[in-house]
Amino acid sequence: MSEAAVRLDNVSKVFPVPLRRRVNVALRDLNLEIAPGEVYGLLGPNGSGKSTTLKIIVGLVAPTRGRVTIFGRENSVVATRRDIGFLPENAYFHKFLSGEETLRFHAKLGGVPAGGIASRANELLETVGLTHARHARLGTYSKGMLQRIGLAQALIHKPKLLVLDEPTAALDPAGSHDIQNLITSLKREGATVLLSSHLLTQVQEVCDRVGILHRGKLLRQGRLGDLLGVANQTELVLENAPAELLAEIEREIEASGARLIARRQPQSSLEQFFLNVTGQPDE
Amino acid sequence: MSAALTRIFAIARITFIEMARLRVFYVLVLFALALVLGSSFLARISFQQELQVTEDIALGAVNFFLSLLAILITAQLLPRDMEDRVIYSVLAKPVTRFEYMLGKFLGVVALLSVSAIAMSLLCVAIIHLREQTAIRETMAQMAQSTPADRAAALRGVYEAGAMNRLSAALAAALAKGIILAALTLCVSSFATSSVFTISAMAMIYLVGNLESVARDYWLHQQVPSVLARAFLAVVTFVFPDLQAFNLTDQLFAGAVLSSDLLLRLAGLAAVYTASYLLIAMAFFSQREL
Repeated sequence: MSEAAVRLDNVSKVFPVPLRRRVNVALRDLNLEIAPGEVYGLLGPNGSGKSTTLKIIVGLVAPTRGRVTIFGRENSVVATRRDIGFLPENAYFHKFLSGEETLRFHAKLGGVPAGGIASRANELLETVGLTHARHARLGTYSKGMLQRIGLAQALIHKPKLLVLDEPTAALDPAGSHDIQNLITSLKREGATVLLSSHLLTQVQEVCDRVGILHRGKLLRQGRLGDLLGVANQTELVLENAPAELLAEIEREIEASGARLIARRQPQSSLEQFFLNVTGQPDE
Repeated sequence: MSAALTRIFAIARITFIEMARLRVFYVLVLFALALVLGSSFLARISFQQELQVTEDIALGAVNFFLSLLAILITAQLLPRDMEDRVIYSVLAKPVTRFEYMLGKFLGVVALLSVSAIAMSLLCVAIIHLREQTAIRETMAQMAQSTPADRAAALRGVYEAGAMNRLSAALAAALAKGIILAALTLCVSSFATSSVFTISAMAMIYLVGNLESVARDYWLHQQVPSVLARAFLAVVTFVFPDLQAFNLTDQLFAGAVLSSDLLLRLAGLAAVYTASYLLIAMAFFSQREL
């Protein structure tokens, strides 16, 4: 069996409150395992401990108790971060740098060989659709563009694990859709993705498994189908079915003793409708 | 170049660009340049004295503004990166906190060096021009004097404007700026705001400039006990002896700046800087982001 991409064993995090005799417990005995190639969504309301969990995994925050490994290696070892790409929540970058300069800077930090920096930066600017804005300063970028350059800097050193903190927060539906598509294509390429969000519909569309965090405790986790499926119900979606066929099916259902709960016309989501109407606007 | 050096220089370069774009940097450098430029107009007394007073004002301006620049700019380094969350995307890469701090510090050192060079060039140019004027005017005034008297007067002018001593004083001012930058980074590594850092550094700057006077007074007034000497050593470490790096007075008094003194100053600066950086890194490695 291959090594888990991310493994948290009994991880707790307690923040002392300065000048007061009390503490904030951000995480309590968190156990989590993410397989390589999996897209895992960490859900939870604000203040549930999602960002703290991600920062602990990336190594920005040390756990008070417990152990974290990334592809079998302790995450306290700085070299582990060669395997991790991180997009912080509401990420800001140096506003005085252009998109291309930002990627070059992060490529140097990520250990990309000097000879490969230019081509990798070009490739990622193309991937995130910012080739046209490569020389523009980040101070002039929209939120969606900043999020895309953030994703590009996270990917610059070809990490095996991508950690995204609220990647679609504050984005319009088109920007959010672009990020979702990127995550899906990264998954196809074999990357492991861990993302946090409170936008449940988006998580449902891209994640293989989800975990629900509340007040620092992981309440439930599992595959979406297992968590959301209703065991004793079946859904049939027919196309171009004549009225006679539908009547026949309903008679058969009645005869078999099963119960028809609902008969309705499937609807696309409001987001899909919005995207169809607005197309794919340029940033 | 090793991967660690690449990362350190990448952070230093970005820090340099970032700090050079701050409004406070331009204001301070322009103000310092204006003062250096104006120093010759502030010192019209007599040829020789004018030259010395010009030096005094110009070197004082370089000294003061480099110190101010070191404190004000360094105090903003960590809080800015934390508030803007830039630090997250940097430290999420295989960058150690040691590399991050060292990169930041080297960026400030580069900025201070460029500022010091700009101020020094102007300073040297102004003093050189005043020296030439003083030579011409001395020669004109002493046209009737004996060659021996003229030579003595010219020697006085040359000594007043000796460039090698000026260079030593300017280098000492830069060394003082670098020590202050390291100490500011040290305070900033545990401070919660840049206002606290700047306030603490203002106090340290004041004490650092006065402590040698107090220390000399104390040591000459009584025979110090071991405890008193230990206390003085701690004070001298926490508050660096900044007056030791102010060579303007010695220059003005015509004292010889021996290579031994300059070497001792360089060693002192290196010890102070390395110690403060190590403490800064120890604090920063434990800091929650």
